[in-house]
Amino acid sequence: MSNHRSHQITADMTDPSFIEEIKKMPGGDKILDCIQCGVCAGSCHARFAMDYSPMQIMKMAHLGLKQDVLSSSTIWICASCYTCASRCPRGLNIPAIMSGFKNMAIRNNVPAAIALKPKFHKAFTEIVGKYGRMHEPELQIKLLNKTSPRELIRNASLGLRMFRQGKLKLQPSRLDPSTKFSEIIKNASEEEAKK
Amino acid sequence: MKYAYFPGCSIHASAKEYAMAANAVNKFLGIELVEIPNWNCCGAIDAVYAYNPLLSISLSTRNLALAENMKMDVVTLCSACFFTLSRANNMLRENADMKSRVDKAINDAGLKYAGGVRIRHYIDVLANDVGFDKIHQNVKVPLKGLKVAPYYGCLIVRPTGIQRFDDPEHPTSMDRMIETLGAEAVDYPDKTRCCGASLVMTDEEVMMEMTKALLLTAKNAQADCIVTPCPMCHFNLDAKQKDIESHFNIDIRLPVLYITQLIGLAFGLPPKELGLHRNIVSLDKSLAVKNIWHTN
Repeated sequence: MSNHRSHQITADMTDPSFIEEIKKMPGGDKILDCIQCGVCAGSCHARFAMDYSPMQIMKMAHLGLKQDVLSSSTIWICASCYTCASRCPRGLNIPAIMSGFKNMAIRNNVPAAIALKPKFHKAFTEIVGKYGRMHEPELQIKLLNKTSPRELIRNASLGLRMFRQGKLKLQPSRLDPSTKFSEIIKNASEEEAKK
Repeated sequence: MKYAYFPGCSIHASAKEYAMAANAVNKFLGIELVEIPNWNCCGAIDAVYAYNPLLSISLSTRNLALAENMKMDVVTLCSACFFTLSRANNMLRENADMKSRVDKAINDAGLKYAGGVRIRHYIDVLANDVGFDKIHQNVKVPLKGLKVAPYYGCLIVRPTGIQRFDDPEHPTSMDRMIETLGAEAVDYPDKTRCCGASLVMTDEEVMMEMTKALLLTAKNAQADCIVTPCPMCHFNLDAKQKDIESHFNIDIRLPVLYITQLIGLAFGLPPKELGLHRNIVSLDKSLAVKNIWHTN
């Protein structure tokens, strides 16, 4: 909750091309329709963990405050529950806009307010790229915070609980190589890098 | 009733019992699920999308292209897969640029998607294709006296562009299902409150705060157990319940069943077949649930 802006906005903080970028993102075309009514802010189940409310993020986007938006915790805390979107009187797809911001932040290497997030998305994508399906133990290990004994113990005990109940799959599933699944990964990775 | 079945990654790991129980009750309800051969991860909401949107939509589309050849509706048990596949279907319709890029990506694997697949959630199939009458006819052990809190979660009721089958603010399909099985559907305010599933691996304390809130309201409403139709929600409510209890120093002890397990109990099926031994919060923690599952 540290980066609340209390000072005035000056021209050097704003990026006039930001709004155009947003309009091109899937779901971003209606960004200017936001009337700042606050229904999203009042509805959000995760607001307590965000630095800015979704409504504030929409206004910051209008103002072109790209750096502030992309370095906020809000874009990462949004859990895509769609409560805001289903209630928005102007029909904004706010979670889709938040998803677009996540991607923009990763692409622009903006330091994330929740440091683990970019790492999570990268690791998840790599595992799916490798096997075609998720293999949770591998993801868990990649993301483990080895500096926190409390977290290590909590994860180990959860792992054990899952294993005992037969809920832990130790070997990854793989797709039939004849399906050329890896071609899709290759194409989508190269094409996205060009963007 | 035959469907192209998209299991999703959780169904093969943490949520095995959800599918076990679905298979057990499907036989009675005339539902046949034909697994999409060589299906891949749907992209999992934002997990892949935040890193590479084109790849995320291509992953979903590959599954839809495989399903299109089967000429049946796609059915999934997982709410997150239901949403993620539906989002891709929608985006391909609305975003010509994305569509042409995705077409190229899947074309490299020899696939084509014309856009004609309908994506359904299993609860929709139960409520609208099978119907409550048919479910009622198969009830052998009415779950009398059992108070069940229906937890719908987010992704089967709210997102834009899904095959809508219930009210986004006040859904009732699972309430009706519970009543059909002879149990009582508990009215409580958090049945569509988000559990924070997307945050479980990166913001555990935020997720625990969110899940705690709805576990407590269900408990305060005197529920004997919660039922859910989503592997992500189930993980938070069931597998993480012990961590939530110790983190906040509270006592919850609320069994969490998949909706298919509850249906199976009312159909008089053996608990083993319903995977009830796999649930992490022991069903014995609630006397009312204990009585029912030990009589089966």
